[in-house]
Order: sequence, then structure tokens, then C-alpha cells
Amino acid sequence: MTRLLQLRAMWRSSRPAILLFPLLSGCNGPQSALQPAGIEAERVAALFWWMTGGGILIWLVVMGLFIYATHIRRHKEHSVRRTRWLILGGGIIFPTVVLAALLVYGLILMAQLRDFSGTTLKIAVSGEQWWWRVRYAREDGSMVELANEIRLPVGERVAFELSSPDVIHAFWIPSLGGKVDMIPGRTTQMILEPTKPGTYLGACAEYCGSAHALMKFDVVVMEKAAFAEWLERQAAPAKPPQDATAQQGLQAFLANGCGACHSVRGTEARGQVGPDLTHAGSRLSLGAGTLPTNAETFSRWIGHTDQLKPDVRMPAFGMLPADQLAAMARYLSELE
Amino acid sequence: MLPRFVERFLTPASGPLRALRWLLLGLALAIGGLLVAWSGVIPIAASSGHWPITDWFLHFAMRSAVRTQSLGISAPDLDDPALVLKGAGHYASACTACHGAPGEAQSLVVQYMTPPPPLLAPRIKEWQPEELFWIVKHGVKFTAMPAWPAQERDDEIWAMVAFLRTLPELDPASYAWLANGTDAKSAINPLQAMAGPQEAVLADCARCHGSDGNGRNTGLPDQAITEPLVPKLAGQSEAYLLASLQAYARGERHSGIMQPVAVALDEATMQALARHYASLPPSAEAARDEQAIARGRTLAAQGRPEQGTPSCLECHGPTATVRNPFYPDLAGQYATYLTAQLKLFSTDQRGGTQYAHLMQHSTQRMNDIQMEDLARYYESLQRN
Repeated sequence: MTRLLQLRAMWRSSRPAILLFPLLSGCNGPQSALQPAGIEAERVAALFWWMTGGGILIWLVVMGLFIYATHIRRHKEHSVRRTRWLILGGGIIFPTVVLAALLVYGLILMAQLRDFSGTTLKIAVSGEQWWWRVRYAREDGSMVELANEIRLPVGERVAFELSSPDVIHAFWIPSLGGKVDMIPGRTTQMILEPTKPGTYLGACAEYCGSAHALMKFDVVVMEKAAFAEWLERQAAPAKPPQDATAQQGLQAFLANGCGACHSVRGTEARGQVGPDLTHAGSRLSLGAGTLPTNAETFSRWIGHTDQLKPDVRMPAFGMLPADQLAAMARYLSELE
Repeated sequence: MLPRFVERFLTPASGPLRALRWLLLGLALAIGGLLVAWSGVIPIAASSGHWPITDWFLHFAMRSAVRTQSLGISAPDLDDPALVLKGAGHYASACTACHGAPGEAQSLVVQYMTPPPPLLAPRIKEWQPEELFWIVKHGVKFTAMPAWPAQERDDEIWAMVAFLRTLPELDPASYAWLANGTDAKSAINPLQAMAGPQEAVLADCARCHGSDGNGRNTGLPDQAITEPLVPKLAGQSEAYLLASLQAYARGERHSGIMQPVAVALDEATMQALARHYASLPPSAEAARDEQAIARGRTLAAQGRPEQGTPSCLECHGPTATVRNPFYPDLAGQYATYLTAQLKLFSTDQRGGTQYAHLMQHSTQRMNDIQMEDLARYYESLQRN
């Protein structure tokens, strides 16, 4: 009796989860191919649902025939002709027709996804171990470099030029479209046309080394006017330090040689090895999706990169005096 | 009449019983051996020496081990006078007490060791350079011959071997020139030592780094060293010099030559030495390979972003901005020394101050030519 009560209690407590399971709540959120926010992702999601439907249909028909043959007409002998029709029709012809239809659909879709005409904005993205170098081509022909964050205007077809200087990476924003490999020595292309403003997540979808799981980026789809304003701000040089602490931070940044790898446009720091930090404080995340951005996380990152991201190329600067670290973190977090 | 259990043990048997008997016999011998050792009658006295047969066997085993275990080693070019000079300086401070030197007898005390350390000069020819390398690197058990304190630094050990190979031909005056930079027996002048402990220490430093802190550029009086291996300390950042001495003393910067020197210094002496060398004027080097210098200049200024190599200027100058004083100023430093350091950094064998890991990251993807170019460029600069 008590056992029965226990079972009942278990059922009660787990009922909501069991009922929600079919809704696949894990597939929601900023990184879901099943919640498309762009035309390409809608096409991929439609393909997914058609393929799922086709698969279910084949399964139902084949299992139905199996049950019919083994259970419903179990005691009656089947004629040779009928048997042949069941096997050829249900086992070969029917699945072939359904799968061929899905294949034709998929091929037509692929041609649509590879149509690179009619784009209005071009962004070059280079996947590097383990971060993203992002370059926007502006109308006057100049390039604006930033890192680990991509912002897009809603309703515009954007061309991506994808490359890699080291190993194969794959560029994937599930909410906006499919994934495309970034291959050393080649430039690959992809088109995305976002349809819903919002914040999404992108990730590297090809294992590329120890910190592969921490090679992410934020994607923000904005209204066109807000986007234009944002790009204008990104193109501008860094704002000068606002107070004595930030000034000390800039001095520490330069004195410790950070400029050998990083650029902060408008200062002497012109390094091209690591991410451009001109507007690092305006970004949503730090270390390619490792931490949020604020003065505290900047300090933690600079002091302990090795503990936060395995094998990261940036050496840890935990040996610097605490006040220098704090000042540098303040300065960087204010670079909006 | 034997006791019953001995009688049973000696009775022929077969199979598992026989195996058990051998096991018991082995156990009895082991326990017996331990009892003998415990009783304290084993002769371990150095005063009694070895029996000739023990002596023969131990040497036979040692020579065979060195021969076999040095098979995988191949010697680099050892004729460079700079290598010989570097080895000589260390030989004078670390080896002479046991092994003697031209014009210097072995310490009387060590001759009462078993085995007594050999007077080296006449014995060098018996060994191949690779075998000498093995002995200097690994030392020899039961003989008091120590291993090289920094196992990372094969380059230093080869310098030692280069010197050892010249040892048989050296007369006392030439040896004194190599080891001390003068024909005096020892550069540590007792009168200077009385004037203040730091003077004696400085005289010791000067044997390799030169009395002006610019590194010795002559081996024998008529022998110019064109590619010095010992770094120029004159005019270097004081913070860097002090941190480096401390890193040597803690074993964090690896060197079989500098670690023993630094460990013997107290904090105040280290500070005084760092201050002293930072205050000296650095010498200027004549430019050598203009093309290499030009390539090095570009690489130092721009780095090589596509291979992940940062520029050098931001940390090592020349720049107009203030730089962290823990980063050494490389202007005018000897190219050979810089190249050697870059190579050690790139293979994670150099160690150093708490900033050293920055260089490991920076040098990882550099090739030999790039290192050479950078070194030539920095050598050609004048420090201001």
C-alpha cells in the first residue's frame, strides 16, 4: 500500500516534466534551429519537419504492414502474389518514392541557399583558435574590425565570407541558418537574411581543438537605423580614458605590451594577432562567449586566461600588481 | 643428525613442492643479507678503498653504461671559441676543486674519496664528446659526480664539453686567461675581497660578464670572440636583472651555470649587483648582416599575425611609451645570446621570471631564421 502511494507521489511530481517532454522545451532559446529567425533558418526548419514527417510516414506504413502480416492475418495463409506486393510495395516502392520526393525537395532548397545574389552587406569572418575575427565592409570601401560579436540589420541579405588561418572551423548561427565550414586556404560563402530582431548565439560547429566548446559569439539582429548607428560607432576610434583610473589602465595596457597582439584604435596599440579591443566594453561577452563583460570579468580574464579557457593563446597576466589589473579592466570595460 | 626440517628440505622432490623450496631458499638468502647489513659489518669506509676486482668491475660497468647510453646523442660543432670560454668560466668555479686544472692541483681532501675523482686533463682523450656530454649531464652514481643542475640546458652542457676537449692542450697561463680573463690565478683579488664582499662577488661575475658588464669578447689574449654567448648586463633594466637573479636562485630560470651562483647570493647583494650593472654604459656592437637586420626590423615592428607571432617593440622597445621594467631592453644585446634565449623559450626550456611564459607564447611559432633576424636587429640597436 505504501509502495503504491510512493509511486503515485512520483507520478504526481514528475507529471509536468513528462507532459512537457513532447514540446521539446530544450529546443527553444537563442541557439535553436527549430525557432527560425531568418529566411535560411526557416527553410532549413521546414526541411527538417518534412523529413521528420516523411520518416514517420514510412515507419507507420512499414510497421502497419508488419502487424497486418504477422498478427491480423496470422492464421490465414498468404498467397504468393499478395506477399510479393506487400514486400515490394511496402518495403521498396513506397519508401523509395517518399525518400526521392524528400531528396528532390532538399536539392531544390540547396540551390536556393546557394544563391549569393542581391546582398547589401558584406561581412568577412575568420575563425581562429578560438575566437572570431569579424570585418565589416563599409560603403566607402573601408573595413571595420571587431571580434566575437556580429550585428545584423533585420530584413537585409548579408553575405558572409568565411575563412580560417589555422584549422577547419564551422560557422553556425542556428537561429539564422545552416552551417558552413571555414577552411584554411579557401574562402567559403554563405547568405543570411534575418527576419526577427533579437539576440542569438553562434558557435563553432567543427571540433577545432581544446577550447572548441568556448568558441562562441553573440549575434544581435537590429532595426536598420539602429544598426547603421551601431556600425558608425564601431568604426570610430576608442574613446579616451574618462578618469585617472582609466588613464592608468591605458598606461598599464601599453606598458605591459598588450598592444603587441591587440589593437585599440586611437592609441599606440596596433597588434593584429588577437581580437581588436577598440570597443570591447560594448560587447555582450568576453573571451568568445566565455564570460559576460564588466570590469570584474575583464580583470578575471586578463589575470587567469589559462584557467578560464584551455590552451588559450593569450597568456595570463596574473603576475601584474592588482591595482594595474583593476585599472586595465576598468579602462577596457569602458571602451563602448 | 640433521634437524628434521632440513632433512626434508634436502630430500629430492618435484613439481610445486620444488618451486616452493626455491622460493623459501631465496627468501632465506634475502633475510640473511638484510641481517648482515643490519649487523653493520659491511665495509663502507672510504679509507680502505676498493678491492682491485671491485674497482675494475665498477669502472667496467660505468664505462659500458656511458658508452651505451650516449649512443643516441650527436655532438654539435664544438670548435667555437665562445663555447670554450663559457665552459671555462664554469669549470673554474664548479669543477676545479675535485678535478684540478692546468696550474691548479686537486684539493688534497678529494684525493681521500673512494673512488678519488680523476685529474681530468690527461683523461679527456679517452672519451668521445657525446660520452663527456652524458657524464656532465647525468653525473655518475656512487662517485660524487653530480648531475647538471638544469637538465633543460643541453646548450650549456655542450659548452662544458667544448671546454673539456681543449683542456689537455692548455698551459696554466692560457687556462687562467680563459677562466678569469687575466693571467692571474684567480680574479678574486683578496684585497678586493677585504674591501667589501660585493667587490669579490663582482670580480667573480666579471670572469664571464666582463668588468664593464658587456660580456667578455676575448678568450685568450689574442683570440677575439665574435659571437659572445654570455649576455651583456650593462645598462639593462634593474628590475629585470634583480628578478632574473631571483628566478635563478629559485630554480625558475634554468641554468646549471647561473643557478649555483645566484643561490649563494643574499637579497642585498642581488640588489646591489642589479643596481651596479644597470648603471654601467652598454657597449655598441658593429652592424653585421644588413639584410638580416632589415628583416628583423620589420618582424620586430609588425610581428607576423598570420602565424600568431606578436611584434617585439611593445615589450622590448624601442618605443616612446614607458614599458614594464620587468621586460628586458634588448637593444645592443649579443645576437648569439638572444637567438639562444629565443630557442630556449620556444621549447619551454628557459624558465625565467614570472613574466617568462609570455615569451613562450610569443616564440612558439617562430622559425630559426626569424629568431636569427630578430637577434641581429636588436644587436644592431643602440640603447639610449
